[in-house]
Amino acid sequence: MATQTASASQEAASGVRSEHLTLDDRVALLRYMLLMRGIEERAMNLYRQGKVPGSFYDGFGQEAVSVGSAFAMSPQDRLCVLHRDLGAHLVRGVEPARIFGQYMGRAGGVTAGRDGNVHFGDFRVGCVGMVSMLPDMMLVATGMAMAFKLRGEARCAITWFGDGSTSRGDFHEAMNWAGLQRLPVIFVLENNQYAYSTPLDQQFAVDPIERAAAYGFPGVKVDGNDVEAMFEATRLARERALAGEGPTLLEAVTMRMHGHAAHDDMKYVPAEQVEQWRRKDPIDRQESRVREAGADVGALRAEVQQVIDDATRAGLAMPMPDPATATDRLFYEPTDPREELLLGDGRAPWSGFGTAGEDRRR
Amino acid sequence: MSSSSTEAVVDVTMPQMGVSVSEGTVVGWRKQVGDWVAYEEPICDISTDKIDTEVPAPAAGRLTEQLVDVGATVQVGTVLARIATDATPGQPHASESEPEPPPVTSEAAAATGDSPAPSTAQPAPAPQARAPANGARRYSPVVQRIAEQHRIDLAQVPGTGRGGRVRKQDVLAYLESARPADAESAAPEPPLHIESPYRPETEAQPEPRPEPAAAPALPSGDGLSHMRRVIGEHMKRSLQTAATCTTWIAVDFSRVEAARRAAGTTALPLVARATVETLLELPALNATLEAESYTRYDDAVHLGIAVSLGEDGLIVPVIRDAQDLSAQGLAKRITDLARRARARELGVDEVHGGTFTITNPGQFGSIMATPVINQPQVAILDLEAVVKRPVVVTDADGDDALAIRPVCILGLSWDHRALDGALAAQFLAALRDRLQAIRPS
Amino acid sequence: MPTMTYLQAISDALRQEMRADERVFVMGEDIGVFGGAFKVTDGFIDEFGPDRVMDTPLAESGIIGTAIGASVVGLRPVCEMQFADFVSCGFDQLVNVAGKMYYRQGLPVNITVRLPSGGGFSGGPFHSQNHEAWFMHAPGLKVVAPSTAQDAKGLLIGAIRDRNPVLFLEHKHLYRRVRGDVPEGTFATPFKTRIARAGDELTIVAYGAMVHTALQAAEELEGASVEVLDLRSLVPLDEDAILQSVRKTSKVLIVDEANETCAAGAQVAALIADKGFEDLDGPIRRVATPDVPIPFSPPLEQAVLPSVDKVREAARELLEY
Repeated sequence: MATQTASASQEAASGVRSEHLTLDDRVALLRYMLLMRGIEERAMNLYRQGKVPGSFYDGFGQEAVSVGSAFAMSPQDRLCVLHRDLGAHLVRGVEPARIFGQYMGRAGGVTAGRDGNVHFGDFRVGCVGMVSMLPDMMLVATGMAMAFKLRGEARCAITWFGDGSTSRGDFHEAMNWAGLQRLPVIFVLENNQYAYSTPLDQQFAVDPIERAAAYGFPGVKVDGNDVEAMFEATRLARERALAGEGPTLLEAVTMRMHGHAAHDDMKYVPAEQVEQWRRKDPIDRQESRVREAGADVGALRAEVQQVIDDATRAGLAMPMPDPATATDRLFYEPTDPREELLLGDGRAPWSGFGTAGEDRRR
Repeated sequence: MSSSSTEAVVDVTMPQMGVSVSEGTVVGWRKQVGDWVAYEEPICDISTDKIDTEVPAPAAGRLTEQLVDVGATVQVGTVLARIATDATPGQPHASESEPEPPPVTSEAAAATGDSPAPSTAQPAPAPQARAPANGARRYSPVVQRIAEQHRIDLAQVPGTGRGGRVRKQDVLAYLESARPADAESAAPEPPLHIESPYRPETEAQPEPRPEPAAAPALPSGDGLSHMRRVIGEHMKRSLQTAATCTTWIAVDFSRVEAARRAAGTTALPLVARATVETLLELPALNATLEAESYTRYDDAVHLGIAVSLGEDGLIVPVIRDAQDLSAQGLAKRITDLARRARARELGVDEVHGGTFTITNPGQFGSIMATPVINQPQVAILDLEAVVKRPVVVTDADGDDALAIRPVCILGLSWDHRALDGALAAQFLAALRDRLQAIRPS
Repeated sequence: MPTMTYLQAISDALRQEMRADERVFVMGEDIGVFGGAFKVTDGFIDEFGPDRVMDTPLAESGIIGTAIGASVVGLRPVCEMQFADFVSCGFDQLVNVAGKMYYRQGLPVNITVRLPSGGGFSGGPFHSQNHEAWFMHAPGLKVVAPSTAQDAKGLLIGAIRDRNPVLFLEHKHLYRRVRGDVPEGTFATPFKTRIARAGDELTIVAYGAMVHTALQAAEELEGASVEVLDLRSLVPLDEDAILQSVRKTSKVLIVDEANETCAAGAQVAALIADKGFEDLDGPIRRVATPDVPIPFSPPLEQAVLPSVDKVREAARELLEY
C-alpha cells in the first residue's frame, strides 16, 4: 500500500540503480555499512564482556537506512539521528574511537559519559543527540527546517524515527507543523516491523505512509535494505525541500534483525520472518553490486576491520570521567557574549557535492 | 465581583471584561435616577481595554442612585448604580415626588458581596514557645550564638517573647546595657581626669567612672593562652628588632574637647584624622621596615587602631586608605572595627597591611606610656588620658597667668633605624599644632 | 523615565530586543494577527512581519520543540504559552530535550518561554496555576518571575540573552495593575534577588504577585521593621541574598501563591534550615495555597490564595514569638 508521487521515486523503490552514484560512491556506501556493522558487533562483544555499562542498541540489518539517507545530506544540512542510525554519524565524520568511548562511558567518548549508548550527537558535524522520548526529535528537526526557511537558506533537516513512535503526539504535531509551513525537512520512518515486542498490527490501524497525505505532503515507501534506493529517495526528497515544496515522509521498509537491545532475545519474532529478511541483507546486496563492478571487497573489509581494531584499542585506553566533574556544565555561561555554540557543518562524501563535501569539520 | 443581593437594594458594579482587566470607563447612561429598569435591561455603556459593552440590570426595580459620571474610569467592582427592587412600576417618578432614600438595612450594609469568607485553609496554629515542664529555658540558635560570643549568662537576660522566651532583641539589648564603654565606642564620654598630687585628706566623691573592661588577668592555673603567647612573641620581637625610642609632647586639648562634643564622638577619631594629615606631611613616619627592606608610603595611610579584647589580649584592625575618611568617617569605621574585633568577626586581610598604629588605652587615667612598635611599622602613637591641668597662658601683652586646660600627653615610639629624634619631635609638634587649631565643624 | 504597566514593559522588552537582534523572534498561538490573548504583541506583526511574529498551530509541544530546533541553528525564539497552565502539553520537550541538551551534548539551547501565570480573578483550575516548581526540579532550566514593571522588562531581556532555556513567569494579575518607572532602551536585570522593602525584625520572602501582598501586609504591621525579599530568580536561587537577610532579621516568613507542597518556598525553607540555622530566632513559617486545584467561584478562590490578612497575621505571630 504505497502512496507514490513522482515516478522517479517509484524507480528508486524498485531497486534500479541511481544515476547519481559513481563507483567510488557505491564503494563508500558499502564501507560505511561495514563500518557500522563491525563497530556494533565489536561493541556487543564488549557489552558481553562487561565493558559497556547499561544497555546497548544496534541497527543490525538496517544499515542501509541511515547510511543511504545520510549520504544524500550536504555539509550544511542538519541531522537528528536515532539509535539504530550509527551509519549517519559515521558518514558525517564522527571517529570510531570516540564512538567506542561513548559506549563505554569514557571521558573521551562523544558525550564524555554524560549520556550512554547511541544517545549522542557530535554537534560540530551537524548532528543533534537524541532523547529517549520518541519521536521528540521530529519537532527539533522541524524547528531547524523552520529556521532555514525563515532565513531563506538552501538547506534541509532530516530525522529518523521508528514505526512505534508514530503513535505518539509529537509525530502528529511535527507532521502537521511541517506540512502546514511547507518546511524543508525529511522524515525517515524506519519501519523495522517491531517496536520492542510490538508488531505493526498492534501499533496502528493505518500505515503511516498513507497518513502523510492527510498532512499535505507525499509519503514514499522505499526498500530500506537497498542502500542506493535509500540514497536516491532521500536525494529526491532533498531536492523537493530545497525547491520549496515542503516535507517528505520516507518509509524505509526493513527488519530489525537483533532484539530491541542487547538484553532482548526477540523470541516474539517468527523464525521464518527472520530468515526471509536475512536473504535481503543490505550489506550482502551492496557487496554483490560493487564486486560486479570490479571493486576489491576483500581489501575493503580488511581495511575496515583494521579501523575497528585500532578504534577499539583507542577506546579501551580512554580513562573514565573524573567524578568531580559530574555537576559541571549544566548551564552555558560564555564570558564573551559573542561566543556561539551552534551546530556545525559535517562531512558529505557524496561525489555530487564535489569538493564542498570534503571534511569540513573544525 | 458580584452585586449585593438583599431584599431591597441591589448594586450594579463595574464588571471585569477579561482576566487581566482592572478598570472600566462609563461612556453613557441609558437609565436615569427614578427610571424603572427591567431585569437584564441595559443600564449603561462601558469601555474597557478589551472590549466595549453594556451593563445589564441584575434585577428589576427603580434606579435610585447613579454613582459614576460619564467619562469616569473606575476599578472593577466599583458600584455604579443602585436599584430598589421593592419599588413597583406604577410608582411616581422620582422627579415627581420626594425621593425616598433606599432602605438600607443592616444586611445591605454588611453584605456587599466581597466579605472575605473564612479561610478554609487555616494556617497551622501559631508557634508556641513552650516552656519545658522543668522550668529550664530554651534558647534559639541565634540567641545562643550571641551569648557565646559575648560570654553572656542567658539566665540573666529577661525575655520579652512569647511565653517569656528570650528573643534576639532581648539578648542584644542586654549586651548594650552591659557593654563596657571603651574610648573606642561612641557611648559614654570618658571623663576628664583631675590630677593633682595635692589632695585634701577628706576624699571628695569619686567621680563616676565606667566599668572597666574585664581585667586582662591571666586564666589562673592554665598558663598563657595561645593568643597571649602570640602577642608576647610579637612584642618581644619588636623590641629586639627595632631601636625603640619614645618621645612625648603635651597638647592642649581644649579645642579637641569642644570639637568632639560637637561631633558626638570621642577624641580618638579627631586625633586619628590629625595624625593622618601629619603623616602625609612627614611620610618618613608612615613606613615599614622589614630586615633591609624599607618602604615609605607617601600617598596613603593604612591606619591600625589597637583594640583591647579584654582577657584575650589585643588586636589591631587596619583602616585602609584612612586619608580618604573624615573624622566622622573614621569614627564610624573605628566603632565598627572595634565591635567586630570583639565579636571575632574580623577578616584576615583586616589585620594586615597597616603603615602606622594608634593605641588609646586612656580610660583608666594613665598619662604616659612607652608603646611597643607594631612590626613592621616604624612608629606608633599613644594617646592616654586627657587630664585637667593648670597651665601657663601668656596674653597679648606678654603677661603670664594660670589657666585650667585639658591636657593630653601624646607619646610616639619610633624606630631609630629608620629615623632620628628630631623628626619624631617634628612630627609630634606638627600634630600638636593641628590638634590645638581644630575648629568644631 | 517613562511610566508603564507591567504588560507594557513586557511588550517593550520584546520590541527592543527584536529591534536590536534580528535573530530574536516570537512564536505562539494568536500572537500575530490577533496581537496575543493579552495583547502583549499587539502591533508587532506590522513592525516585524509574520515570519518574526509567528502564529503557530495549537501545539505546545510543537512550539517548544521547533523552538529548540531553531535555536541550535542560530535563531533566538521567544515562545509564548497562551496560559502558563498549557505548558504541561510541552513538558517533555522542555524537560527532556531543552533542559538536558547542554549537559549531555554540549549544545546549548537558547530559548525563552513566556508563561502568563497566576490566579485571583476566577480563572479556574486551568488558567490560574503557578507551577514553577515543576521546572525548578528539572535540571538545566532557568526560571525567573518579575513583580514590578521594571523587572518585567529587565528580566525578560535577560532571559532572551541568556543562552540557556529560561522560563519567564509573567503574572496575569499584575499585567495592568502594576505600573512603574521603566528605563528606556535595552537593559538586562541580573537573575538575583531584590530587597523590595528593608527591615530588620522579620523577613518575608515572596515573588511575583505575592510581593505586593507581602508589601501590603508589611505596611499594615505598624511599628514593625519588616523586610520583604523579591526573589525574582528561582533558578538560579540567590542563596547569598536570602541567607544575608535571615542573618539580619533572624525570623522568616515565606509566601507561595503556588500549591504548598514542594513549591519554591519549600526549597527556600530547606535552604535556610540547612545553612541559616544559627541565625534563626524562630521557626521558618510559610503561607501558601493549599494543595487543591484553584477553584473558580470567588469566595472559594479567595479562601485558598494567600491574602494580605493571612500574611499579615502570620507575620505578626512570628514577630511576637
